[in-house]
Amino acid sequence: MSDMDNPLGDPASGDLPTKHLDEMACLLYIERQLDRARAQEVSAHTQDCNQCRTLLRAMERESRLLTRAMLEEDEALPSRLAQFQERTRRSMQWIWGVAFGLAATGVYALYTGYIEPWEQQLAQAGFGSTSLLNLLIFQGAFWKGWQSVITLLEVVAMLTLGGFGLAFFRRRLRRGSALALVLTGFCAVGALLMSPAASAQDVRKGDTTEVRSGETIKGDIFIFSHHTRIDGTVDGDVYLFTQDANIGGHVKGDVIAFAQSLRVTGDVDGNVRSFTNNLTVTGNVTRNVLAFQEILNLDPSGKIGGSLTAFAQSFNLDGQVGRNLLFFAQHGTISGTVDGKIDAKCEALRINGSAKVGGPIHFEGENAPDVAADAKLAAPVDFHKTVHKPKYEEGGYYVWQVIWAAAFVLFGLVLFQVMPSFSKEAVVNVEHYGASFGLGVLVFFGVPIAAAIACATVVGLFIGISTFFLWYATLYYAQIIVGALVGQWLLGRTRETWPLIGRMAVGVVIVRLCTTVPHVGGWVKFGVMLWGTGAISLALYRRFQPAISAGLPGAPSVPTPLHPNTTIGGAVPA
Amino acid sequence: MSAPGKTEPTEAIARARAGDADAWGDLYREYAPAMFRFCRRALPTREDAEDATMEIFMKLRDKLSQYDETRSFSAWLYKVAANHCWDLLRRRRIRQDKETDDVADVPLEHPDPNQLDRMIEQSTNDEVRRALGKLGARARMALVMRYYSDMSYDEIADALGVRRAFVGVVLLRARHELRQALGERGALAAGGAL
Repeated sequence: MSDMDNPLGDPASGDLPTKHLDEMACLLYIERQLDRARAQEVSAHTQDCNQCRTLLRAMERESRLLTRAMLEEDEALPSRLAQFQERTRRSMQWIWGVAFGLAATGVYALYTGYIEPWEQQLAQAGFGSTSLLNLLIFQGAFWKGWQSVITLLEVVAMLTLGGFGLAFFRRRLRRGSALALVLTGFCAVGALLMSPAASAQDVRKGDTTEVRSGETIKGDIFIFSHHTRIDGTVDGDVYLFTQDANIGGHVKGDVIAFAQSLRVTGDVDGNVRSFTNNLTVTGNVTRNVLAFQEILNLDPSGKIGGSLTAFAQSFNLDGQVGRNLLFFAQHGTISGTVDGKIDAKCEALRINGSAKVGGPIHFEGENAPDVAADAKLAAPVDFHKTVHKPKYEEGGYYVWQVIWAAAFVLFGLVLFQVMPSFSKEAVVNVEHYGASFGLGVLVFFGVPIAAAIACATVVGLFIGISTFFLWYATLYYAQIIVGALVGQWLLGRTRETWPLIGRMAVGVVIVRLCTTVPHVGGWVKFGVMLWGTGAISLALYRRFQPAISAGLPGAPSVPTPLHPNTTIGGAVPA
Repeated sequence: MSAPGKTEPTEAIARARAGDADAWGDLYREYAPAMFRFCRRALPTREDAEDATMEIFMKLRDKLSQYDETRSFSAWLYKVAANHCWDLLRRRRIRQDKETDDVADVPLEHPDPNQLDRMIEQSTNDEVRRALGKLGARARMALVMRYYSDMSYDEIADALGVRRAFVGVVLLRARHELRQALGERGALAAGGAL
């Protein structure tokens, strides 16, 4: 650099005394950054030049003033810093106890209260399995058979590798790019999941879609249309996204339907999973039926080889069910045959004379069931009358509130450990009240709508469903984030992870208490969800803002060299 | 360094590295005030400084195994602190766009030695600290690193991500900014910017 090479100023004017030192030379001299020869030049010059000597001394005094001003102990160590170590240690102790106690309680209660009974009920409904994992993964609606195991293993391997990669690069990546990497990973996994299936799929769109009689589809078929007729043969699964559909042909795999109206008049060798307004079965379903709809009719000619699980407003069974029947409905009528047992919960149940039930019947409802005298039942109906009383009067309600609080704390514990930095940022953003609420409203209503729109396309289906689940999880995460803020209000601010988790635990309990207050609790919960969701979205948004990598010597940081005229008054006239 | 002549607490460091929480507590108590002052000078608000001090010590605790015992412990602390504070400032500057680098393009005016001498004579420590708070992030950071923690030009270059040859330029410009800030406060009522 020129200033360091030539500590003396303007070289144009000849003899030394006629030139003055530039300011940079003085600085480098007093900072001992000049080499010996140049330092001697400067020293010699200042002995002869009063002006430069004055500047040199002034700059030396300036250095001393700076050091003195900075080192002066003008402020005592803040109390929260003074107690930082002690508080951390204390916090750690009780947080560990509380967190693990609550976690253990929550896990046990959730399993015994929810998962185990569901498992049993689903097992009765033909989804029996040795473990919940198998139940969810291998017997879920989208399970397509053993050929998918390879794909699943690939995905698991990829996720594992991705996890290791993220853990390794976590400290090296900027936050935005790390998040982008995660999202890209999700998309890649989605693409991976979609691509092998797509190669063996037939996708049909249009106002009316038909698989004609005599036509055979090899592999799965996805249908997106207003009106659908399947009179031919499908040698695979059928995925329906349609207004009304009639399956009159032969489906050798499963039928998964999202429709307003679905009629099964033909044969389905696999299962039927239906999310429809009306479902009518007049044909044969060899395996099980799981249906969520307003009206379900199993006509006299309809036959289900396995179990039937139904959630409906109106349920009419005139046909035959080979195994168990489980249904939740407003009105239920049984006139056909059920070879297994029946578990029902509805306002009114009627069992007609033509009904034939091979197993026990458990019924919970408002009124006693209307059972025809000539109905052929293996055992009398085991009836339990539904007792209505305010939930606040039931002890179990409070037990469940404790369980839920424990589950929230557990969830928060995991999230704060997995994403400590992001969680802290989200907690900070909660205090931006206006932005958080505004964005919260937008995300709360906008994201599910966007997800639903994305689901309308095959490519967007995975993204849409993932987004919806993410949004749903965010609603819970939002309560945890707000809880963390409430905890900080009470116990003081912290940036450390474990003390923050402790505050989160305390805050979550308080938030949960507020949400249980009769009449206003629901609104509190809604507000907390909006608030927290907005804060999380804000943190996410800020992560996507560009930031320069820490490892790069940023070009904008390099200052321009000093102006060449930076001397003391320039050259002195001869 | 901020505490010249202070002997290195080698035993406490060794015990802290072995996981002794009490030893770590001793180190914290000994160095926390100096680190807080460093952050207080480098960062715009007291709350920022408090947060940063805690974050730095958390970072130090994680990195303690990487500390080279042949080097000065306090120098290592300040290096970690400087990197942390500069990272905070730079990220904030990028996001909030409060700073510009245009200042670097403005030629520096020549200081009048006598006027500079008078200004230094009249300025109190408190005024200097307040003026320091008005500087841009890089200027403030450079001055703090040099005149508070006595970091070398190489260390400052490394922390700020500039070439070593530019450290002098950064420091000189920082001094000019500081003089201007002091001048605006009335210390140089008649002299204007030096």
